[in-house]
Amino acid sequence: MPSPSRNGATKAGDWRNYERVLLPPVRDLHRFEVYVKHGGYEALRAVLTHSKKWAPDKVTEAVKASGLRGRGGAGFSTGLKWSFMPPVDPGTPRYIACNGDESEPGTFKDRQLMEYNPHLIFEGILIAARAMQIDATYLYIRGEYVDWIRHMEHELAKLYAEGYVGKRILGTDFSSEIIIHKGAGAYICGEETSLLESVEGKRAYPRIKPPFPAQKGLWGCPTTVNNVETLACAPLIINRGAEWFAGIGAEKHPGPVLYGLSGHVERPGVYEYPTGMLITDLIEEVAGGMRGGKKLKAIVPGGASVPVLRADMIDGVTMDTESLREAGSMMGTAGMLVMDEDTDMVKFLRRVTRFYHHESCGQCTPCREGTGWIENLVTRIDEGEGTLRDLDILMDLCDQMEGRTVCALADAAAWPVRNTIQRFREEFEAKCRQSIYAMA
Amino acid sequence: MPTITIDNKEYAFQGQPKLLQFCLDLGVELPHFCYHPALSIPANCRQCLVEVGMPVRDRETGEITRNDDGEPVIRWMPKMTTSCSVDMADGMVVRTHRTSEQVERAQKDNLEFLLINHPLDCPICDQAGHCPLQNQTYKYGPEGSRFEFLKVQKPKKVVLGPRVMLDGERCINCTRCTRFTDEVSKSHQLTIIERGVKNYPMTAPGEVFDEPYSMNVIDICPVGALTSIDFRFRARIWEMSSAPSITVTNAKGANCSYWVRDNLVLRITPRTNLDINEYWLPDEDRAVWPRFNEHRPEGSQVRMAGALKSVDWEAAYARVSELLGSVEGSNILFLGSPYATVEDNYLLGKLAASLGASAPAYIPHVEPGAGDGWLITDDKTPNAEGCRRLGIHPVDPELVRARLEAGEIAAVYVLEDDPVASGLFQAADVQDIPVILHTYHTTNETIAAADVVLPAAMVVETVGTYVSVDGYAQRVWPAKAIRGVNRTLRMEMGISRPDSHGTPFDRWHNESNQVNCKPSWEMLPAIARSMGLQEEDASPKAIMQEVAQTIGSFEGADYESMGAHGVRLAEIGATV
Repeated sequence: MPSPSRNGATKAGDWRNYERVLLPPVRDLHRFEVYVKHGGYEALRAVLTHSKKWAPDKVTEAVKASGLRGRGGAGFSTGLKWSFMPPVDPGTPRYIACNGDESEPGTFKDRQLMEYNPHLIFEGILIAARAMQIDATYLYIRGEYVDWIRHMEHELAKLYAEGYVGKRILGTDFSSEIIIHKGAGAYICGEETSLLESVEGKRAYPRIKPPFPAQKGLWGCPTTVNNVETLACAPLIINRGAEWFAGIGAEKHPGPVLYGLSGHVERPGVYEYPTGMLITDLIEEVAGGMRGGKKLKAIVPGGASVPVLRADMIDGVTMDTESLREAGSMMGTAGMLVMDEDTDMVKFLRRVTRFYHHESCGQCTPCREGTGWIENLVTRIDEGEGTLRDLDILMDLCDQMEGRTVCALADAAAWPVRNTIQRFREEFEAKCRQSIYAMA
Repeated sequence: MPTITIDNKEYAFQGQPKLLQFCLDLGVELPHFCYHPALSIPANCRQCLVEVGMPVRDRETGEITRNDDGEPVIRWMPKMTTSCSVDMADGMVVRTHRTSEQVERAQKDNLEFLLINHPLDCPICDQAGHCPLQNQTYKYGPEGSRFEFLKVQKPKKVVLGPRVMLDGERCINCTRCTRFTDEVSKSHQLTIIERGVKNYPMTAPGEVFDEPYSMNVIDICPVGALTSIDFRFRARIWEMSSAPSITVTNAKGANCSYWVRDNLVLRITPRTNLDINEYWLPDEDRAVWPRFNEHRPEGSQVRMAGALKSVDWEAAYARVSELLGSVEGSNILFLGSPYATVEDNYLLGKLAASLGASAPAYIPHVEPGAGDGWLITDDKTPNAEGCRRLGIHPVDPELVRARLEAGEIAAVYVLEDDPVASGLFQAADVQDIPVILHTYHTTNETIAAADVVLPAAMVVETVGTYVSVDGYAQRVWPAKAIRGVNRTLRMEMGISRPDSHGTPFDRWHNESNQVNCKPSWEMLPAIARSMGLQEEDASPKAIMQEVAQTIGSFEGADYESMGAHGVRLAEIGATV
């Protein structure tokens, strides 16, 4: 039965009867033979052989028409991003950097896709490569995902052997390479321009934009950076049509999405459902409700960097850009952290600030210095030695960091601080008042 | 011409300059740390933030939209942006800290961040007094700090290489040093290690930071994180005076500053000259500073009864006059010097001509393969090109030896060189003929054979001109005082703090700390006069004017046109 959203409109549709397409229930789908047996690579074949129907710009148009938004966190229109690539210049190579470097707390859905349906990613890469006339794709996988890297290398070798990747793919005149690149083990490597630096063999520092990767990406050549889940949607759009895709989930943020549910729920895990799901449905029905029957206290909808929402703020809120923005948060990676009534929000914030302090690359002054300072302050408050003045300083430091750095890591570090303090101020104040140095 | 408005004032510009460099060129100060004109722009210090906006244009007509007052409507960028990385565009409007509270606040906030983990050890830091962080904190920083935690402890006194030391905790991660090794010297020996607030520059495991240009990272480090091992703790900026000059270690003519305290040269740093050395100096040019302080001679000496005796200058000149007067002019071997200035060599040539001797020759000091095609040349002297243009050519050792053996040389006059150490002849070869030697050091091996030793002022003590291998004529200024010369007037020496405020008890003012030598341009006319020749006592400036007017290959090489950065002379053809 369709769930009503805050404004009464149906968003996720009949999610209870939803047919999984990203992670379909097929045994051993990760193997090339099984994938092909179940219709795999038909979308690629169609794109390559029906050159009239699926001319490269028509593929991009279809992706645009589908309304697909990037699944890596920023939620930018994928088709629009593809259309930013400049016209082909025969002397200049063109690249895709496919981002599988997820490492934000609460985000673990790319791993699931790479484990269960890697060929959907490969097929998506090849379709995108065709659409943008790409010479080579660097599939950047988080270095810690050793098993998945090995497994995908194994499957990629089969693709090369079968003529699905490399020279003259499927006997057509289209050639494109895929290279699996192991990440160096830092959160910043997942930031799109740092990822490019890392692929180039340099220390992963973000690049200043402009120029954007489409103008100057890998080795100065046109490059599109897409998340693995984003590219995995491409074969679905080709196979079933842009309209089908646009009809799934939220109107302005459609499509299937992998929800990573973690925290104090009965059944944490990665679940595929349409966008636009009610947060309450996700927690109560998909994740089996709160662990031990406890009350919900707060959620972080899309990975640790997005603003936390209090339980009383999620009524009718759905998992899509518009609804979450209205509620005061963001979709991010759809990796939802659920916290029950026993959660100490100061401790939660302490853990989050610890992460960003540890992962700041150190390039820009406000992030390098600010992340450590806020961790110091939150730690002091948590350890019962904070003062109310510390809360003011924390809010001030967020102002000093936001929007003043090359990449968004400083913003990502500041938002949880600002929002957690604003939305749970009484808890922070209570800890400060207990402090032996209490003021006011 | 396109225009830009900075703080309500309009400026025209050409090309595609970056905003920060344009402001700096205009003299509009914008605080910054990581930006360096010769390096890539990472925009990581975030100190040069400004507000940037563009006039709103009508999409159809392209006309600028104006408000009711006729002023252009400006669409401001949502975030402040780093001026170092902004490409200027026609009509762009910029607000700096002078007109924007937001920018002023951001600069203050950023300095607060920079200082939370930076040790406030200015009293013991070598960079104190010329530290941009110190200066900018004073100008733009917060009044205090709200940081109440332990600062991050980073490695201290790390020897990166034979010449550079790192004090990690002072590093503000501007990455100028690593960018220098990646982009300019291309040694790639430095990289940033660790993450976030713990990061600092370091060599790769097993690597030593020993490239030939390593010490440039000390100059470009905005704080005292990278220091010179041989200069650490030796002197402070306010105790020293510096003189613009050039290095004399090779023929490149790299521009430098000689830094002096207590009348001793303590360090040599690059001076910007975009035509010659840009902002850089090789390490070998800097390592020679002890040469200007050690083994310096003490006054003129004359050989009497087989031994050298100290005499006053007049007596030494009289002895030279006596020795030269007793031989046939054409039998005197005059040796010019590629170490000496154009003025000195020119006067030597004049003296030789007056006595009827043939033109001087010079001893070349070339090490084939020693050059690197950049700032290090095979020729290890600063003025071989100047000699060549004066008609002074490399000496033919075979011919000299043959003439000596045949007894055709009755006297040898050496200007600022060491023929014995250079292998031109042995001391025994000239035992029976008078040898007059202008020398810098008591270690000069020709002293053993010299009959008159005339201590000559070095590059740091004289005024003169050198011509680089690329044909740049450049003048030098004295950096340190020598005895008996009015340095502030005649030698155009800068007045340092000790000059103005020193007491007679300071070593600077104490004659015993000044070398008893004279510039050759002062000695040679005196010798000529003592021989009854008409030679006016002229300043180097006048001498060079004469050279420029009388010798075609020096046309235009007067002190005015040379200025601080030299003048490129017209090419001359190969001469025999």
